[in-house]
Amino acid sequence: MKIATQDSVKARRSRSTEAVILFCIGTQTFAIAADAVQEIRSTDSLATAAVEMELAEVPKVRHLVERSHRTYYVVSGCAHFGLRVTRPTLVLILRQIRTAVLVDSIERMADVSKVHALPQAFQGEERQWYRGLIYLEDRVIPVIKPDGFLTSEEFARLDRAAQSIESRQELEGAVQA
Amino acid sequence: MSAAENHARKSWVLLHVGNRRFALPAESVMELAPPVRLHNFPHTSRLIAGVIVRRGRIVPVYDVSPVLCGRESSVHRFYLIAERAFGKASEASAIPVNGECELATSEMLPRHENAPSYFAGTLAIENENIDVLDLQELVSAESRSPSAASHAEPRP
Repeated sequence: MKIATQDSVKARRSRSTEAVILFCIGTQTFAIAADAVQEIRSTDSLATAAVEMELAEVPKVRHLVERSHRTYYVVSGCAHFGLRVTRPTLVLILRQIRTAVLVDSIERMADVSKVHALPQAFQGEERQWYRGLIYLEDRVIPVIKPDGFLTSEEFARLDRAAQSIESRQELEGAVQA
Repeated sequence: MSAAENHARKSWVLLHVGNRRFALPAESVMELAPPVRLHNFPHTSRLIAGVIVRRGRIVPVYDVSPVLCGRESSVHRFYLIAERAFGKASEASAIPVNGECELATSEMLPRHENAPSYFAGTLAIENENIDVLDLQELVSAESRSPSAASHAEPRP
């Protein structure tokens, strides 16, 4: 009889479960795959680095931040999900996607073994928002699609707006010099 | 009654929504679930009140009361779970119902001329005309409605 090594047990466990971060926006709890999040920062710590932007076509984005030479657009979680406006205290900076999301709090991390498909009955924007649903400790929690916060069209608009902000800042810098 | 007549008489589940009785074909009904917890999360799909969990499955709940009775029904004691078709596949779908459901055998009569398209016909049972629901049409017609909700605030 073979005895499983600790490493192989760990590997098997990691294959069958997925680590998620549970976070709150208002009274709602959401989940996001832990490996989709690069960094979690307080809004205060990013305040000095954030550049204000206002784009009527993408009202859920009011700021951009530069991180590691990349521009991240800061999406208001409340505005995105149509929830009542709250006072977010944290920013989830996503991995691979130039999006950061304002949230109220982190509840905890959890290992989930199954992500249920979103029922077909849901035919609205939520099909872009959610990867599926998890059932955890008698709660059904939607699992966020990291690339569902902004469409490619919205990214293109935001990039154009960001470029014009950068040009304006360069011009202002040149005038001051 | 002959075998042919017997065959024409189908089985129906009679359910209460608001203070009215409706019918669904018995073969489409999966179970009558107890008042389990209704879970909410933001979405923009009209008529969906949330989801319930039954036998390890997540089942969407359609609040059809405003459509059928013109107002929210305050007394939801059970969930009637029926199959809704999505192309070739089907999905368990729940309707909040009040009162106990009954099984009846009857022949379906054509629906009234001016009846909404989500009524498939009527049953004449115990001196009462009971509308037979076409669940697919009921929830699809409402989803197509131009006044569909655009906000995502979950229902309380």
